[in-house]
This record gives sequence, structure tokens and C-alpha cells, in this order.
Amino acid sequence: MVRALTYGVLIFLSALFIMPFCWTFVTAVKSIPELYQYPPVFWPSALQWENFATAWFKQPFDIYLKNSLIVVVLSTFGQLLSSSLVAFGFARFHFKGRDAIFILLLSTMMIPWDVKMIPLYMEFNMLGWINTLKPLIVPAYFADAFFVFLLRQYIMTVPVEIDEAARMDGANSWQIYWRIHLPLMMPALVLVGTFHFMNAWNDYLGPLIYLNDQSKYTLTLGLSMFKGLHETDITSIAAITVILCIPPLILFFFAQRYIMNGAIGSSVKG
Amino acid sequence: MGTNPDSAAQRSRTLEKLTPYLFISPWILGFLAFTLGPLLFSLVMSFYDWPVVGERTFIGIENYEIMLTQDPLFWDSLWVTIKFGLFFVPFNIILGLLLAVLLNQRVIGSGIFRTIFYLPSVISGVALVTIWAWIYSHEYGILNFLLGLAGIEGPNWLGDPSWSLLAIVVASLWGLGGTMLILLTGLQSIPKELYEAAKISGVPAWARLLFITIPMLSPMLLFTFITSIIAAFQQLTIALLLTGGGPLESTYFFAMYIYDNAFKHFEMGFAAANSWVMFLIILALSLFVMKSSSAWVYYEGEMKNKENADG
Amino acid sequence: MKNLKKLALASAVAALTIGGTAVAEDVIRFATWNGEENLEIQYEIAKLFEAENPGVKVQVESYADGYDKKLIAAFGAGSPPDVMYMWNYPKYYKSLLPLDDLMARDAEEMNLSDIPAALINTTRIDGKAYGMPAGFTTHVVFYNKDMFAAAGVEEPKEGWTWADLREKAAKFRDKESKTYGIAVSAKPDPFDFEQFLWSNGTRFISQDGKTIDGFMNSPEAVEVLDMFAEMARNEEAVMVGVGENSSSSALFKGGKIAMFQSAMWSKAGIEAAGINYGVAHLPSFGDKPVHSSVPASAMSVAKDGKNLELAWKYVKFFSSPAAVKLRTNDLPIRTSVAEELNMTSDPVFKPFFDILAVSDRETNAFLKHENWGKIQTNLERAIEATMLGKGDAKTNLDDAVARSARHLN
Repeated sequence: MVRALTYGVLIFLSALFIMPFCWTFVTAVKSIPELYQYPPVFWPSALQWENFATAWFKQPFDIYLKNSLIVVVLSTFGQLLSSSLVAFGFARFHFKGRDAIFILLLSTMMIPWDVKMIPLYMEFNMLGWINTLKPLIVPAYFADAFFVFLLRQYIMTVPVEIDEAARMDGANSWQIYWRIHLPLMMPALVLVGTFHFMNAWNDYLGPLIYLNDQSKYTLTLGLSMFKGLHETDITSIAAITVILCIPPLILFFFAQRYIMNGAIGSSVKG
Repeated sequence: MGTNPDSAAQRSRTLEKLTPYLFISPWILGFLAFTLGPLLFSLVMSFYDWPVVGERTFIGIENYEIMLTQDPLFWDSLWVTIKFGLFFVPFNIILGLLLAVLLNQRVIGSGIFRTIFYLPSVISGVALVTIWAWIYSHEYGILNFLLGLAGIEGPNWLGDPSWSLLAIVVASLWGLGGTMLILLTGLQSIPKELYEAAKISGVPAWARLLFITIPMLSPMLLFTFITSIIAAFQQLTIALLLTGGGPLESTYFFAMYIYDNAFKHFEMGFAAANSWVMFLIILALSLFVMKSSSAWVYYEGEMKNKENADG
Repeated sequence: MKNLKKLALASAVAALTIGGTAVAEDVIRFATWNGEENLEIQYEIAKLFEAENPGVKVQVESYADGYDKKLIAAFGAGSPPDVMYMWNYPKYYKSLLPLDDLMARDAEEMNLSDIPAALINTTRIDGKAYGMPAGFTTHVVFYNKDMFAAAGVEEPKEGWTWADLREKAAKFRDKESKTYGIAVSAKPDPFDFEQFLWSNGTRFISQDGKTIDGFMNSPEAVEVLDMFAEMARNEEAVMVGVGENSSSSALFKGGKIAMFQSAMWSKAGIEAAGINYGVAHLPSFGDKPVHSSVPASAMSVAKDGKNLELAWKYVKFFSSPAAVKLRTNDLPIRTSVAEELNMTSDPVFKPFFDILAVSDRETNAFLKHENWGKIQTNLERAIEATMLGKGDAKTNLDDAVARSARHLN
């Protein structure tokens, strides 16, 4: 009975959640006359598969893909490393000014980007980083507050006794971080990796502001080129959106099982 | 060097003292390099009449004065944002929790379900808005088409001030896959034994949720609470692209007020003053939540005393 | 001495490596708001320029929908592109190079008399021109010939009025298939909307840019706004602009509206959707003269650029006959090119040029007052409220005038 209800709710909700993707896909493979029909065409009379290739080759998307991959891979690595270090620092030590610094860290999440934009642009300009991928990569090596907070909350749920036992065995703080907490954090790290990956993959504003030359553009910038001031190429937007969804989705599908890999619950604590 | 045991011990003690700072140093350095400067810069800007191009003039607190006493849009947009937050924050957390609890069970195809619920978060903003416009359109939208099949005449979702904010709330909630994942991750760290013991003693499911899951999940709930508040205040993209703040400012969020002052009216100083006020409001709310959290958040791994931590 | 030489050599090498290609070539940074389709044309013209000017490299920077944001960041931080498309002269003119002297100097070479003065006037602030037009459009009414034939409605004729348009529009209304005669927007861009006030003998703000009371809320303005609200109420028109901006274009392409008031930028899309269309003049209000807004794609030069002469050369090139001919998505600024391509007699293009000839009396409101942006916010609110049936045009426009009082000085 409860089972059936669970499945009922899940299936109903997932129908709602999968709709955007289905609609985007259907839009991508429609012919132009069908695109604008009403009542809407739910399944096109003939699937225009070539729309994907057409959209891809309208712009140098190969180059955009390369740039996006560079940004996403390098920055995700930096984010995982730096935010887990910082989170461990906040979660497992008492030190002077800790709480004040932590509030400061939290507060950086609350600054609207509108006002940071110009000063940051000036700074990156002075560093000679404008029109390079650096502004999109380097800051990730200095720990984002959102992820630090997330990981810190996660670490706080891990019993201290684990650390104490390791310390008894002569481990120092770095070893405790590296050998004990990093593996224990795995679900949360996968989460951080996923979130950061998606943020970087879908980031529009950063690339728009810091990149000038088409050879430096990322995928989302290419996507936005289909939206002009007056007219929008809906088919191409839908086609590229579908293509852009696929790599993160596949990656997520394989990553999410590690989120479910609750190591503490079963083995350590028992 | 290593012959004097005293100095070696002292060195290692100093090192111990430094260790926490070394751990958090990446963030400190990043803050100094990429945040502090722009932050102070924007504070200075907020006391200036600062057009994007042209002369900048120091005007003291005039920007703050105009905002608080002369510009009705400031209060209007603040009120819209608060209304949005009152809907968005609880629903985001409750629905996220519901999904997380459902998916934490042994469900066939749970991986696929999790992927589906995260799907809207994967689709980039440009396409999401096209989809919502298609759903909400008054004459030609799919929502009113479906309601029409049921014999109901649907409202003008985005064109009627009494529905538009709700429509934006629903569209925003579509991205709750992220919250679901965070809570799902939190659920992983709850020892299964607790549930088994409770089950054996005959504790019903709702009580297990209330007395085991929620307290054990409270650190993650605190996280989603605070980040949802921040998200509510920074809500911009969907409304900007879907309604442009209308109709009649019913979806004119505070973030859009800042955005317009900066990018439509080119008043960077005024926008900076707006931002600082917004910043202080969120900070106050977050501090309040953080302070209250000691009463309802339970940390399994909290340091019981100072000695433990410093080794 | 020997050391000094070595040092000089070393620094020269260093300069070469650091400077990279910049030493070998002059680079022009050229920013455009064009999206993918029109972008091709920008690249073509840039390539043509490079071919004629060896040693010059044009870096085309396209930002499409994000153009305004990008420009604010770049100007605000003091590193704007050398040459850029411009529309927002009031906000940027202090950082732009006035072009009058250069135009006067090169008038003969540029054959300036071939370019309608009305186009250059759209770039003037305090009498100085800050942009050189490269393309433009005027406003027209596209109509679906097949729908007109099927409904047995007579196609629009030259000299038609809004009353004629409304009468025709009413005949297309069909509840079952959700078909309408035309679309009206609840959130029109005031830049274009002002043309209806002009055509009815008024304007948003006085010619000297000092008064809005009696203009923005004049009986003529009220009449225009009430008419559009009534068209929506009577179902002669479907109301769009709540939700998605491009929706009236989508409705026309989907055969849901028979007429579509728009400009050159819609033409390529309509053709791609396979609509059998005709182009009609903008209708008039009774026997008053029609006046269209003239959105021009004009190019400006950043005042503090490194190589102003080269930047100007590039701007000039965009208005040359060769470049103008390549621009198929807007209209040629050169009368000679328009005539050479038979556009002035082609029934599709003729209405665009006919109205250009009579659209030089007015200046857009935003060029007349530095706080126009804030006044416009109130105006937009009044238009939207009226269209959504919250109060009549008179009340709402009066309210907008009252709200704008503090921005006028």
C-alpha cells in the first residue's frame, strides 16, 4: 500500500519534472511550420534529426566545447580540493576568530553580483586575464562559500570519536583530513562536484563579461547567440540545449550512486 | 636542529596552532584577492553619483536617502521579494525533503528518478524560459489547454497580477532538484541502526521521520534554510526573462530593482547602495537563523570541548 | 656599450614575445549585438576590410542578447572595444568620439549626400553625431496573403487607416481556432511605440525635452493608447507581451494572426516559416501624416581608443556601398544602393522606403532628456496597466506624468 503510494507520487512528480526536457527535445526535431502550430504539435509528423547537426555547425561549437571542458574540468578539481580543505578547517578546529570568519564567509554568498562586476572586471583587466579562461577557472581554487558551508555541515554530522581514535593512533590533522574525512565526505563531494560542474557548464554571465573573442567562447555563450535582439532561433536553441544536457546527465546518472553510498551509516558507526 | 627537544616541541605546537589557519587559507586568500577589493569598491561607489561613463561625484548618503524616502520602487520590490520568499523557502525545503525521503527508500529505478528530478537544474536558463512561456501563455499555453480539456477556463498566469507571483514561485520550485540532492546526501549520514531499533520498538513511520530523520538532518536543513533565503532574495533570472517584473510590478523583485538601476539606468552608485541594503537584510536574517539554530540543530560531530580540538 | 646593446636587444625580444601579434598587426576590437545569422554578415564585412587593409586584424566580438551588459562592464572598467554598435547615446556619448568633423573632412569620399540625414540624426546628442549608420529599418505591417484570400478580406491599400485595419482585423477572429486579426503588446518598447503618437500628432516629451505634461498624457496620446486597449478588448487583436517578447512573431508564423506590425528584423524569419506574405504601410490616424520610428544600426568609436584614425576608417567602410550591399537583414542606408537593387519599387521593400522619406520630423524621446530611462519606467507601467484593463489611458498616463515629475530636472 505504502509502496504503491510511493511509486504513484514518484511517477506523477517525475512526469512533471521530465516535461521540460521532452518538450525541448520535441521542439528541436520539429519542422519550422510545426513549431508555431496551435494546438501544439506534441509529436512531429517527421523527426528532423538534421536540426542537431545544422545548429551545431552554425557556429564553431567544437571550439566552444573545448573551452567549456577546460573550464569545467580544471575548476571542478580546484573547487573540490579547496572547499573540502576549508570546510574541514571550519568543522574540526576551534581557533581564534573562527565564528567571525565563518560569518564573513557566509556573507560572501549574499553579495549581489551587479556591483561586483565592474570592480572585478577592472581587477582581471589589470592582471591581463580578460579574454582568457582564467577568470572562470582560478577563483574556483579559492573555495566557494556555498560549497564550504555545505561540506562543513556534512562533516559536522560525522562523530568526533572517529577523529579522536585516529589521533590516538598517531595521525596528524592532514592525515585525518586526507585518509578519513575525504573518503567519508564522498557523497557530499560528489554533490559539490555535480553542483560546481553544472554551475560552470551553464554559466553565462562570467563568460559573457570576461571573454571577447569567439575563439575563447564557451558553449552557453554560443547558445545565447541564437537569441537575437528581435528574433529567436527557437529550433537551434532547443537542439543545442538538448546536446548540452546530455554529458552532465550521463555523468550525473553515474555520480548519483556515490551520493547514495552512505559509508558512515553502515560501516564506521556500527 | 632536532637535538633540542624543547624547541622541536615548541615548533610542532606552533605548527598545531597554525594548522587550522592553513586549512582555511585558500578561502582567506581568495577573499583577499577577489572579494574584499570589489566589496570595498562597491561601498565607496554607494556614496557617489557614479554613472558608467562620465564624472563621478561624491554625494554622501544621498543614494541611501533617496532609496528609503523617495523611491516607492524600493519598498514595492522589497515587499514582492518577501512575499516570494514566504512561499518559496518553505515549499523548497518541504518538497525537497519529501522527495529526498521518498528516494532514500529502496525503490526500483531510484537512480533514474533522482536523475529526472535533477533534470530541470541541468537545462540552461535560455531554454527554461522558453518552456515556461509555452506552459503559461494565456491563449496558447499548454496549461490552459489542459485546463480547458477539464472544462476550466485558465487565468492569464503571467498577465494577471494576482497570479503572476505564484506562477514565478512554481517555475522557481522546478529547480528544487538541488535541494533534494543536498537533503538526500544528508540522509546518508544517519545511521541505519537508529531506524532499525525504532522499528523494533514499534515506533510508527511518521514518528521516525519526526524524531529521528529531522533532528539528524538538521545541519543540512539549516544549510538549505539559509541558502534558500539567499536564493529568494537574489531571485532574478526567471522573472526577468518571463515577466520582466510585471504585470504592474507584481513580480518586480528586489534583485531586479538593483539590476535595473545598474543596467537600465546606469546608476552604479545607486545600485551599489541598493546592494548594500540587500546585503545587510540577508545578513541579518541569516544571523538570526544561525543564532536560533543552536536550539534546533543537532551536530553529531560537534566538538565537546576545546581540548579535543586543539589536540 | 656592448651591454647596453644587449639590453636593448633583450627588451626588444621581450616586447615582441609579450606583445605577440600586436606588434606585427593593428588590431581593431569591434563589438556587435548581432546574433548568429546577422553575425555572418559582420564577419564578411570585416574580412573584406582586412583584405583591403593588409596588416590590420579585426577582432569581431559578438554578444547578442548580452550586449548591453557587456558594454557596461567594459566601459565601466575603462576598456571598451574600439568600434561598436550603439543605440544608447545619452548614456555613453561622453566616452564616444564625435564624428561630425571626420564626416565633414571625408564627405566627398563618403558621398554623404547619398545617405538620408534622418539616419545620422538618430545618433545626435546636443547636435553632435556620435554614430555612423550602417543599416536601418522602418516599421511596416506584414500580412498573410493566404489568410486574407481565404477570409475574403481585401488586402491593405496605400493610405489605409487604423480604422481600416481594425475593420479587417475583426473579420479574422475565430474563437475555435484562436485566430485573430493582429497582435497588440501590453509591453511595447516605448522607442517604437512613440511612432503611433507621432502619427497622431503628439510625442512623449516636448521638442525641447523639458515638458511631458500635455504631451505624454495629451488627448492624442490617450486616444492612441485607448485604441490599442480597445482592440484587445474587442478581440480584434490578441494581446501579447505578457510572458514572451517574440510571441507576436511566433503567432504570425503559425498563422494565428493575419497581420503583424513589425520591422525588417522579422522578414527573414517569416520567409523561413514559409508564409506567403505581403508588406503594407503603417496605417494612419485619419488623415494625419504617418511617421515611423527609424531604428538604425549605427557604429561608434570609443574616444580613448589607441588608433582612432583606423577605427574611423573601419566605421566608414561599414557605410561604403560594398559593405551596405552585404547587409541583407536590414535596409541599405545608401539611396543609390537601394535604387540599384530596385528596392524603392519592389512591393516588399517600397513601404519601408516610402515611410523613411516622411519620417524625419521627430526625435526619439530618449535622446531629449538624460533621465528618460526613469520616466520611461513610469510610462511603461501606464501602458501596461491600460492594456491589462486596470484603469483607462487618461488616468494611467496622468499618473505616469505625476510620478515622473521628480526625474524631469
